[in-house]
Amino acid sequence: MRHITCTAVVVATLAFGTVAASATDYGEKLASWLQLAQATETPPEETAVPAPSEAIATVLDEQDVMSVLGLRVRSSAGEDMGRIINVVVDGTGHVRAAVIDFGGFLGVGNRKIAVDWNALHFEPAGSKDDRITLDLTRDQVKAAPEYKDGRPLIMLGTAESLQPSPSSE
Amino acid sequence: MPLQPSRRSQRGLDWFVFFVATVLTGFGPFVAVYLTSQHWTQLDIGLVLSIGGVASLLGQMPSGALVDAARSERVVAGLAIVATGASALALGLWPVSPVVQVASVVQAFAGCILGPAIAAISLGLVGHEGIGERLGRNARFASLGTGAGAAAMGASGYLIEDRAVFFVAAAFLIPALLALRLIEEKEVDPERAHGGVEGEPCLQHRAAPMATVIRHRTLLIFAGCVLLFQLANAAMLPLLGSILTMRSSQWATALIAVCMIVPQLIVALVSPWIGRSAQRIGRRPLLLLGIAVVSLRGILFASLSNPFLLVAVQLLDGIAAAVFTVLTPFIIADITRGTGRFNLSLGFVGTATGIGASLSTTLAGYASDHFGSPAAFLALAAFAAAGVALVWRLMPETRPRKAD
Repeated sequence: MRHITCTAVVVATLAFGTVAASATDYGEKLASWLQLAQATETPPEETAVPAPSEAIATVLDEQDVMSVLGLRVRSSAGEDMGRIINVVVDGTGHVRAAVIDFGGFLGVGNRKIAVDWNALHFEPAGSKDDRITLDLTRDQVKAAPEYKDGRPLIMLGTAESLQPSPSSE
Repeated sequence: MPLQPSRRSQRGLDWFVFFVATVLTGFGPFVAVYLTSQHWTQLDIGLVLSIGGVASLLGQMPSGALVDAARSERVVAGLAIVATGASALALGLWPVSPVVQVASVVQAFAGCILGPAIAAISLGLVGHEGIGERLGRNARFASLGTGAGAAAMGASGYLIEDRAVFFVAAAFLIPALLALRLIEEKEVDPERAHGGVEGEPCLQHRAAPMATVIRHRTLLIFAGCVLLFQLANAAMLPLLGSILTMRSSQWATALIAVCMIVPQLIVALVSPWIGRSAQRIGRRPLLLLGIAVVSLRGILFASLSNPFLLVAVQLLDGIAAAVFTVLTPFIIADITRGTGRFNLSLGFVGTATGIGASLSTTLAGYASDHFGSPAAFLALAAFAAAGVALVWRLMPETRPRKAD
């Protein structure tokens, strides 16, 4: 049995009055769009779900969420570890690894390396560029094999990060 | 009798070549790093790079034909460098998909025009008798420009932010245009610039048919040499960079920077000598030297592992680069003498360059994934060895019989 839940995450800025007004407009538009989406959505034939599950729009403040693609990662010692260029999930959709673009100069000599998602720490405060830290140093990461699509994933982590994520398997 | 263009024009061309090279350094592999920082996915970045690559391959011959047809090489070169600067600015200001795609295509075409346009201005200015010396000077200033560009852009990307690289690149447009203004229009003879010979005006309708020029046996052999050179050479630096990243953590970035900048200094040092020697002793021995050095480099990369020794071997890149930067337009000028198709032929060989370079990175990437990097370096060395054999067996000396 598969539950289909459609959750739209809307990051809205609600700081100023004028912006709040336009945010309300946006909310209305979103509501009508969701209705439209429900109307056109056809339930899969083989499942016995009587009706498509209800869509819920959740609003998260922009300080609480971030898009990670392209963000810089630093080691705990403050070394530049490159930028996140991809996120890898397992069969159940749980995030397992981040692919970082490591090393190089002006785009020459950089390597794509997968690191355990649990070895990354996302700090809510601090300057925007330095919010992600990795529990590994450049020396530990440099010799890792390159990440390649369609190959077994070899990801680097630490002893603590190596426990399988609780919900998988 | 060699022509005597004014010092002012010669200086103008020197600095135009220098600043064109700095502007062009902003493009290339750095675009991928920049787009990553702008939250682009790898798929979209790959698409933009392929579009640019295909455009610069397809643009080569039409651009050459365009430069052959132009009556003022200066205007063509000026428009092309303005288009390049504008693309850099657009990349920095609006890193969104349609703008980036258009900018990379515009830059690719403009880049295809700049090479032949500079070669044409050079030939138009000094003629066949002085071209060796002049091409040596061009290579010197181009490599100094590339080195300065890489240093300035590396610093601005590190100290300010990634997008600053493109503003720096676009800013170099202004000195490039000022330098171009120094070149006297009337000293650049359009007939000479297209590979015609003085005293025998070869007007546009009297230029040799395109097909005859392209099917010229020596031109085909030379295009084959250039293809093999690129096939061997293009992937060596990226592969070496990847190994340096793997072997050394603290020094990797600095070592890769050295690998990119120091060979440029070597080109600057030796290329005038190469231009003069090619005029004196002929093109063929130097061509053999240039391609043999690539083979040697591949074998040394495959057998050494100390990062500092690898960097030392990379300095050989400067010699090969100097030979090919100077000799490519030189040999083509020899072959197309009197045809009026100098730039079209440059475009033809440019296409071979592009095909060789893109195959090189693909093949080397595949080889290093499956058989390890030493095997990849040996495969590249083998292509260079095939190039040596081709020059040795088939490539004739193109220096005219009568002393220059």
